Amino acid sequence: MIRFDRVTKIYNKGSSPALRDCSVEIDKGEFVFLVGPSGSGKTTFMRLLLREELPTSGRIWAAGRELGRLSNWRVPYLRRNLGCVFQDFRLLANKTAFENVAFVLEVIGRPRPVIESQVNQVLDLVGLGQKKHRFPSELSGGEQQRVAIARAFVNRPLVLLADEPTGNLDPETSIGIMKLLEKINKTGTTIVMATHDAGLVDMMRRRVVELDQGSIVRDQHRGVYG
Amino acid sequence: MSRFLSPRVDYTLREALSNLWRNRLMTIAAILTVAVSLSLVGSAMLVKQAVANATVQWDHGVNAIIWLDPSITPAVRESIHQQLLAMPEDIASCYYNGHKADYAEARIVLRSEPAAFQALTPATTPPSYRCRLRNAVDAYAVASHFAKQAGVKNVTYPGQAIKTMRRTTTVLQDVLLVVAIVLMLSAAVLILNTIRLAIFSRRHEVSVMKLVGATNWFIRIPFMLEGFLEGLAGAACAAGIVLWLQKVFDSVVAKPTASGQPSALWVSTGQLVTTEIVIVIVAVVLSSIGSGLAVRRFLST
Ligand SMILES: Nc1ncnc2c1ncn2[C@@H]1O[C@H](COP(=O)(O)OP(=O)(O)OP(=O)(O)O)[C@@H](O)[C@H]1O
Ligand SMILES: [Mg+2]
Repeated sequence: MIRFDRVTKIYNKGSSPALRDCSVEIDKGEFVFLVGPSGSGKTTFMRLLLREELPTSGRIWAAGRELGRLSNWRVPYLRRNLGCVFQDFRLLANKTAFENVAFVLEVIGRPRPVIESQVNQVLDLVGLGQKKHRFPSELSGGEQQRVAIARAFVNRPLVLLADEPTGNLDPETSIGIMKLLEKINKTGTTIVMATHDAGLVDMMRRRVVELDQGSIVRDQHRGVYG
Repeated sequence: MSRFLSPRVDYTLREALSNLWRNRLMTIAAILTVAVSLSLVGSAMLVKQAVANATVQWDHGVNAIIWLDPSITPAVRESIHQQLLAMPEDIASCYYNGHKADYAEARIVLRSEPAAFQALTPATTPPSYRCRLRNAVDAYAVASHFAKQAGVKNVTYPGQAIKTMRRTTTVLQDVLLVVAIVLMLSAAVLILNTIRLAIFSRRHEVSVMKLVGATNWFIRIPFMLEGFLEGLAGAACAAGIVLWLQKVFDSVVAKPTASGQPSALWVSTGQLVTTEIVIVIVAVVLSSIGSGLAVRRFLST
């Protein structure tokens, strides 16, 4: 599903690598925590998967494609298979929860009736069926993140990338988000989640990949944070 | 609207129109600049065509016309031809215009004197020799030499009015075109700038679109459409202005004149249509340049 083969990423010539000789393989349906101190390369890992950046050396496969060989015009189609969620939600303020989620399907040209039913379904899944006509400013942080997850998941991606999705949320809300991601994982969606939250990682006991200064220093099944 | 259009078309139109409305001051500036620059291009073309119509007899540097009797015999015509050939130090070149060619030309030249044209048939239209003299001041001498000959109806040469008209319009045209080009460049820049503003005010949407896998063209097209709409709106204004100018030509300038004088300014429907088509094409080119550069520069990857 996802494979990094000796991947090194250097942003600016001369600076030290953000990722250094990383090799890792993630199978379909896995739930992987990406942990490590600030600046260790977690976000870089995600950006490489989304092909927002190309590796300086090494090769990356995602959704059955080698990203280095993917022509530019195919990148959007790659991204349709990769949902992503961020610490800052990135919802559009002038659209309601429903419209934010529907936007994804609109943008990839789905017919209107399909949009209608799929969006309602996914909003029910994240538990926001009742609040779908609210604007982001009228939702709590946890609810906004649920909308963001609904948006990332509505197109049934093969992989869901979550970069510190609970970074802005209190512990209790974070657990709710975790449960939601677990539910999504159970549908067969691979989840890669970067996090600083030791409590969540220890609670879940899933695979943990630890980065430090760009190198993978630990890859542990049913692991803990530190 | 959304009921009838596919979501994609609906989305594209909605985005483009709302962008235009959001930056309406810039939009208006862009449209007006397109309109003014294209009106200038259109007017330059109209004036050029009108003057060309009015002075069509004097094309190709012709500065003396020897009109022959419509019923001239081939033998007499041949003798005149030989005389023309025998004056190489005065006459640089000459060509013969037959009945039919002169009749076709009369249709243009006598446009403001329909009665005079109707009185003609191809057979009664005088054929002519069109000559380029080495020295325009010889025209009078050449005229007096041929005027009294058998088979020659009369000899005409362009009056000062025609010469001035041709020279003035050439200069006027050049000036109009230079101004128009400067304005067209500004128009392209203004279109580029409205699109840049639109992209900037939608940068969050654009980044989300990229993230969720919208194709480049899907993201670009509403912005480019915005540029096209500005260009077309400008072209529509310019087309209207040109149409109005043509009416002015017809009603104010086009007074019947005596034969031999420069005829009135007018353009044919075909020429008007050509002008309008050129305006639309230039608008499309301008807005493609503006929007193409904008999306390339501000929406890269
Ligand atoms: N666009 C960029 N240009 C240059 N350097 C960058 C860029 N993005 C990240 N870096 C550098 O790469 C290294 C890894 O950054 P990255 O964002 O991947 O870390 P992270 O593990 O996500 O950190 P955090 O936990 O703080 O989010 C850092 O040293 C950072 O300064
Ligand atoms: Mg990060």
